[in-house]
Amino acid sequence: MLRLFILLCVSNMVLGQDANKTVASVISQMNRVKNYTVDARIKSDIPLIKILPVKAKIEFKQPDEIKMKTQGIAILPKKGFTDLAIMLKNKSSYTAIFTGYEVVQKIKTESITLLPSNDAGEIVLAKIWVNTGEALILKSQITTRTNGTVVADYLYGKQKEFGLPDELTFSVDVKKFKIPKGVVVDINRTKTAEEPKNQGKMGTIHILFSNYSINSL
Amino acid sequence: MSEKIIEIKSIAKKFGLFEAVKDVSFHVNQGDVFGFLGPNGAGKSTTIRCMLSLIKPDSGSIEIFGKSIFKHRNEILSRTGSIIEKPDFYKYLSAYKNLEIFSRLSRVSIGKKEIYNMLDFVGLGGREQDKFSSFSHGMKQRLGIAQTLLHNPDLIVLDEPTTGLDPQGIIDIRNLILRLKNEQHKTVILSSHNLAEIEIICNRMVIINKGVSVVEGDVKALMNNEDLVVRLELSDKDKSKAVILSQYPNIQITDINDTSIELPMEKSKISELNKDLVQAGIGIFSIEAKRKLEDYFIKMVNA
Amino acid sequence: MIFIKSIYNEVIKIALKPRSYLGIAAITVLVGVILFALKSDGMSIISFVTSSFEQTLSFEGNVLNGNLVAFIILQMLIVQIPLLIALVTGDLVSGEAAMGTIRLLLTQPISRTQLLLSKFMAGGIYTLIVIVWLGFMSVIMGKMLFGTGDLMVLNSDGLVILQEADVNWRYLGGFLVAFLALFTVSSLSICLSCFTDNSIGPIVTTMSIILLFTIIGTLDVHVFDSVRPFLLTTHMASWRSFFEDPLPIQDIKNSILILLIHNILLISISIYVFNKKDITA
Repeated sequence: MLRLFILLCVSNMVLGQDANKTVASVISQMNRVKNYTVDARIKSDIPLIKILPVKAKIEFKQPDEIKMKTQGIAILPKKGFTDLAIMLKNKSSYTAIFTGYEVVQKIKTESITLLPSNDAGEIVLAKIWVNTGEALILKSQITTRTNGTVVADYLYGKQKEFGLPDELTFSVDVKKFKIPKGVVVDINRTKTAEEPKNQGKMGTIHILFSNYSINSL
Repeated sequence: MSEKIIEIKSIAKKFGLFEAVKDVSFHVNQGDVFGFLGPNGAGKSTTIRCMLSLIKPDSGSIEIFGKSIFKHRNEILSRTGSIIEKPDFYKYLSAYKNLEIFSRLSRVSIGKKEIYNMLDFVGLGGREQDKFSSFSHGMKQRLGIAQTLLHNPDLIVLDEPTTGLDPQGIIDIRNLILRLKNEQHKTVILSSHNLAEIEIICNRMVIINKGVSVVEGDVKALMNNEDLVVRLELSDKDKSKAVILSQYPNIQITDINDTSIELPMEKSKISELNKDLVQAGIGIFSIEAKRKLEDYFIKMVNA
Repeated sequence: MIFIKSIYNEVIKIALKPRSYLGIAAITVLVGVILFALKSDGMSIISFVTSSFEQTLSFEGNVLNGNLVAFIILQMLIVQIPLLIALVTGDLVSGEAAMGTIRLLLTQPISRTQLLLSKFMAGGIYTLIVIVWLGFMSVIMGKMLFGTGDLMVLNSDGLVILQEADVNWRYLGGFLVAFLALFTVSSLSICLSCFTDNSIGPIVTTMSIILLFTIIGTLDVHVFDSVRPFLLTTHMASWRSFFEDPLPIQDIKNSILILLIHNILLISISIYVFNKKDITA
């Protein structure tokens, strides 16, 4: 047991530097983008919610100013949209630990766990899967104290040199979703309503980005 | 012979167990001013309501203008105007607006001018825009009469039309009814407790009591069959009685007070009675024939 | 022609009766209060509704917009509006008897059936005015104060977010069905009005029926399942079906049919009773 522990520590010491290096390369790519605007099409598929795809315009300015103007109501994950980028850029707020290699989107990626330095903070744990060859995050997972776990899959296209994805797919935990009783006055139902069963455990929010305009503001 | 305008045959009406009308029959001729008499609860109101299709009788027939009220209701009512009991209008509307509402339902074109003229005619000129709720009882009655006459009906049914009117108003209504009869040849049915009015205005009448028609006919003819009741105020009552009994031994004399007596007498014999008393040296302070219809009415009702 | 004149008469009578404006004033005040409350703290109402979703999701965009405000207003006033209608229409026949004007009215050369139908029509016109005013106050004023946007509706089977362009026709359809439902309330009150000479009785009875049926409709027990499909109040709220996705067309058609049947029955009963009635008032 002691030997295993030592082995892990040593591995970490060696490979921990790699995790930081990988994270740094990702941040460096992100910092190339001073600002951008992009059109987004947000499609949400969440149990107990019916919503058609919504168009939006997103505007970003360094370091973390993000504005969204939607045509209508859009549903986004509460955490996970901008939190990862903010967390990554604040190097002192976490410790990056290499946790192995995994194949994501048929690409070998480095799996890096980001342990928050502040135990009392909102983010409990974060994980990224990085394509080290292109310094691109292909998948992320953020677990927060109050908002559960959000997993994001990244698909890149023409803007991958800036680390900006063409598609983002979020998976959210929806087990706790319930219709509040007493609020809905369904007196037009003719039968006693059965409690609507929340069949799905996960909901997805898919965002399609187009017409990026980078560093033009 | 005048045409029959109204013919009512054996109508009966029960409300639950209560027989409001048992057997009422009468007819009204064209141009009649027809008196409709009866004590309270006799069935007058029910009969009038049956005539005007407000109540459906259980049996019997009602024909107006030669047609059944049950089959030709609208046609008959378009030629009829009526006040039933007290005239009720929409309290929150003005006199003008009230008449306008009802004028729209008549089959005659009635404009603003006609309504204003009618209001003026019944003595409500200047009060056209006042709300009905602000009217006195007499004014309400006048408005009722205005509504009744507005569409120039051939048959007019008036239920207690002079109730609440001042003496001038009563005279006005009397004269109006006589004008309607004499100048416009309308047929009028007049239900009233004012027997003096009936006696003056009506040419024919029916008396009903306890839901049954008791007597029907020409007013004068019915009255002429009965004696007058003569009241005398005299200087010597006892001597007067002796004089009268000597001429009319079977006559019934009633003491009214120390100086007055009453006795039935044919109209033609009153002057002779007067002469006999004067010749006997009796002073006559007053001599009056009592309203005959009152007595006749009471007699018929109590019979 | 006389029928049209009679309808005009009845509308004039309603228009000139002070009580008719109680309903309009009540709607103005009630909606005004709700608009003020929502403007002050509307987001807390929305948060209460979406509380279980908001742990994981955030709703971007103009959530508290005129469309949602109008929907909230309609939901809140669903029980009150029938009362305001019955307050006027419940008086249309019995009020005439109480006032004594029925004697005069029924000695006019218009059939009782035509007269009664003209009252139904006038009641319908009043109902339409109330609904249009409610629509103006809720939808138009709502949009003026809160802007416009997608409509978020919480149904018993989940949250539906309807796109802005998809909302107006739903409101139109909803209001049309709501009008039919309220016309049925009007018909019920006029029908009850034919049975009595008392002015207040039909109004109170109509409201009691609406409340009783509403309670039966909202009680979550199976024993009322056989009765519920035929209750007037079940279909009174069918305007809400226009805000479901997909649109339950068959349910809406059923509701319209049931409401129409209610109206035919109520009007038929009224005509029968009114024609047979002896006017002793």
